[in-house]
Amino acid sequence: MATALEQYVNTVQTLSTQGNFSQLCDFIGKSSDVLTKNANHLDNVLATLDIQSHSLGVLGILCVKYNLPNIPDFETLFVQTQEFIISCNGEHVRYATDSYADLCHKFTQNLVERKQPLRGICILVTAINKIQLFPAQLTSIHADLCQLCLLSKNLKSALQFLDQDITDISKEGGQFDARDFLLYYYYGGMIYAALKQYDKALCFFEIAVTTPSMAVSHIMLEAYKKYILVGLILHGKVPNPPKYTSQVVARYIKPLCQPYHDLASVYACNNPADVRTVVDKHQETFNRDSNIGLVKQCITSVYKKNIQRLTKTFLTLSLTDMANRVKLSGPKEAEKYVLNMIEDGEIFATINQRDGMVRFHDNPEKYNSARMLIRLDQEMQRCMQLDAKLKEMDREVAANPQFVQKSLGVHEDDVPGTSCSKTSAYQ
Amino acid sequence: MATDVAQQPIDFGKLCGDLEIQELESPCGIASPQVYGQLLGIYLLQNELCHAKFLWKRIPQAVKNANPELGQIWAVGQKLWQRDFSGAYDVLKKDWTEAYKPIMTAVLECTRRKAFNLIGQAYSSIKAEEFAAFVGLPVADALQAATAEGWIADPQTRIVTPKKPAPPVDPPLSNEQHLSVLTDYVSFMES
Repeated sequence: MATALEQYVNTVQTLSTQGNFSQLCDFIGKSSDVLTKNANHLDNVLATLDIQSHSLGVLGILCVKYNLPNIPDFETLFVQTQEFIISCNGEHVRYATDSYADLCHKFTQNLVERKQPLRGICILVTAINKIQLFPAQLTSIHADLCQLCLLSKNLKSALQFLDQDITDISKEGGQFDARDFLLYYYYGGMIYAALKQYDKALCFFEIAVTTPSMAVSHIMLEAYKKYILVGLILHGKVPNPPKYTSQVVARYIKPLCQPYHDLASVYACNNPADVRTVVDKHQETFNRDSNIGLVKQCITSVYKKNIQRLTKTFLTLSLTDMANRVKLSGPKEAEKYVLNMIEDGEIFATINQRDGMVRFHDNPEKYNSARMLIRLDQEMQRCMQLDAKLKEMDREVAANPQFVQKSLGVHEDDVPGTSCSKTSAYQ
Repeated sequence: MATDVAQQPIDFGKLCGDLEIQELESPCGIASPQVYGQLLGIYLLQNELCHAKFLWKRIPQAVKNANPELGQIWAVGQKLWQRDFSGAYDVLKKDWTEAYKPIMTAVLECTRRKAFNLIGQAYSSIKAEEFAAFVGLPVADALQAATAEGWIADPQTRIVTPKKPAPPVDPPLSNEQHLSVLTDYVSFMES
């Protein structure tokens, strides 16, 4: 074995034993050239290191292996990565969160290129659980996991992370790429939309769209298109983006989404035939954006919204009348729609087949049951937790030196060491 | 495996979790046909049709071709997706192999239960033939089942009058609990 490699092993072993991890990280960072030059012997070096006690050394080698121009034997590397993620020492690798995340990105990328996304899901789940300080912390690996889940059509594995509200962002090497943040919320929104959990999908797309920004991001643009469609399916209109939405959205992104705005404005007229015309007109765009599935759901939702509107005007209505008013093919189809909507809790009604009438009801919930009280209690608890969390974050911001300087009007250049990290704006 | 414990009631929730892990940990990402089939059946049972749909989409074509029974399970899923109750009973009515039998039997029972609930909720009166199609029984049996539910089945007019399902029973809440919850709120509001 070349002496440079021996030196690498020795240094890793010594510094790991001493617990001098920051220095070890520096050393590993400087060694990548040497390691790349001796790429053929890297597996021998790996064999001399112990994953548990020399985690950082192993991580350094794996990163170099992934950065080689072409990977000679991916199967071996896959197993090595798997073993590393499962057995590495979480305390150690927290000193090199950037390399750790980078390893996961490269691993993901390779699985995507080899069209084997399913194989990586378990490993990334372990990887996230290991590196997170607490479940509400977002890492850049989250986006990788969502991508693998989408590509392998195995969406359930991502839900354990998506269902967790994020209140903190892991700083990987002192920063966090906005791209990973946007991708997480974009992919997450797509996963929820695919599972028909439209309220959560809308929330995720909204977070992506309202991310503070100075330039147009393609991810944000695509998220905005889906935000419009999910808004139509869920509420029958495009929700007004919140005030804190970046200027970029109104100025640059909206003009790029004309077909979607056309759809939203024709949707407002409640006429399914007109909606179809617009959909046909822009079919090509919707297909190209892979949004045709959501667009089709918009058409179905026009009928549903029209039926919901009828419940506000009528107490009883014949199925034939209903079919005419909402332009369905006949009483049978109307009955099917009403039945499905009752099942989904979208309207409260009963069908009377004896005389072919539908009777609409008010919401039977009287808000007087113990069950409702318990639910109210849970919601209150969540609000209280949110309030506590907000206060805590507010205190953190108020105590942040950068913030204090800014708010006192001191110019940044006067004070050393105040380069603004990308993450601060999101917290 | 499900077949070993066929005598006792099966914990489908636990089985579901086990199967999901088996699929994820399968070498090269391709699980055994039985894992796919049982998981697909359990998703149908849990009414997780979206998950079932994506599972069906990710089963490799070769596995589907070699195991036609998988396609038959998904045929049930398709009918449930279209909310075509009578269609679902038609495809459910077959002799499933041992591995799938307990799950598919449970799917049948669960679908019928769901149909009863839905009719009770959505109809104030329904024609006997349509009712029978909903619950997947011959008309005479269906009418009997309706009567057993406490519904009125009129043999002359051939109209079934369902009763609204009873609201779920309220969980008990003690006064002390009540009071402590309220105290919490008041102290929160005041701080």
